[in-house]
Amino acid sequence: MHIFPVIEIAGFHIDLSTWISVIVSCLIVFIVARVAVSNLSVHNPSKMQNFMEWVIEFVHDTVASTMPLSKAKHFINLGITLIMFIFISNLLGLPFGVVTEHHEPLEIAGSMVVTEADITKYDGHAHIAWWKSPTADLSVTAGLAIIVIFLVHFLGVTKNTKHYLKHYFEPFPIFFPLNIMKEISKPLTLSLRLYANIFAGEVLISTILMLGWVGIPLMAVWQGFSIFVGGIQAFLFTILTMVYISQATVHDEDH
Amino acid sequence: MDNFVWESTVFTMIAFLALLWLLSKYAFGPLMGIMEQRKKLVQEQMSTAEESRKQAGEHLEAQKKALEQARKEAYEIIESAKVTSSKQADDIMNAAKAEANRLKDEAVKDIDSEKNKAIAALRSQVGGMSVMIASKIIEKQIDEKSQEQLVDQYLKEVGNK
Repeated sequence: MHIFPVIEIAGFHIDLSTWISVIVSCLIVFIVARVAVSNLSVHNPSKMQNFMEWVIEFVHDTVASTMPLSKAKHFINLGITLIMFIFISNLLGLPFGVVTEHHEPLEIAGSMVVTEADITKYDGHAHIAWWKSPTADLSVTAGLAIIVIFLVHFLGVTKNTKHYLKHYFEPFPIFFPLNIMKEISKPLTLSLRLYANIFAGEVLISTILMLGWVGIPLMAVWQGFSIFVGGIQAFLFTILTMVYISQATVHDEDH
Repeated sequence: MDNFVWESTVFTMIAFLALLWLLSKYAFGPLMGIMEQRKKLVQEQMSTAEESRKQAGEHLEAQKKALEQARKEAYEIIESAKVTSSKQADDIMNAAKAEANRLKDEAVKDIDSEKNKAIAALRSQVGGMSVMIASKIIEKQIDEKSQEQLVDQYLKEVGNK
């Protein structure tokens, strides 16, 4: 397997490949969004504007179609940013990889990226992967899940306090441990599902690469499927976020 | 899970929140503003359309009324013209009749007076002639006056027959 270039600065470990891909992903998302809204028009929307408006409507319907647009605005912003960021992140690792081969220990900015032990472990040639999908890194998906879950609990406590506290003891007080487990499993499943799907996809890509030219048709099929999986996972992450948020904010008296 | 780097998690969170802030400020904010504006515009246009539809209905009603009014007036004008014309015709007929009557009466009067004149003339002539005839026949000295009395008597008898 590849080694990721982790350098150490002032006691912090910085995974260069993750940082680079997160930054690139953010840049692409921002540029795409800016281009999409560059020529806004009330009467004569461009194709891109139409598409973005459709996305907004879609996310709006998902989070709370009964909420007016001005009120649901923040959740919609979050939803669109999530779906765009995750989708583009999922695709980043597909088209190419940047891998360097090292036979000597490598040192970047005073920290050992490839150690003697690594080289002996990989039979004398260690590979460093400089490029990947940011979502193929559990630490990235965990970050996203933490934001979402923090937001959900924050909204539950502030907007819907009574219902939020009560739902831990429903339908019976004895269900409290189960409810706690449910709440803990939410961020875990969110982050692990996304990470596992994308990471597995990349693993399979590097495995197919080992096949040489025989693997070209297989690669084409798998790349296409990975785009599909990337879309599905982005969609799923966003939908689940919106569902959690609407559960936390919608006040249902009759329960 | 040896490749879990918590610094990456923190970095992702910061980057994602920054992206969220940037996007909502520079991309989705304006876009949603436009969408709100369009919603408002559509509502405005719908109410305007409703308004103009109402106005058109009112105008149509007013025009129908005006047309009805005009038709009524035209009918009245025709009716009054008919009445006037028949009245005028009657007047003209009456005047003509009166004129004709007058002319006839005058003619009758003229005829009468002419007749009387002729009778008078005839009477005087007949008187003279009969005097002459009588004087010639009788050759007597009957004075003209008794003679005349005689003739008148005769003539009356003749006229009475």
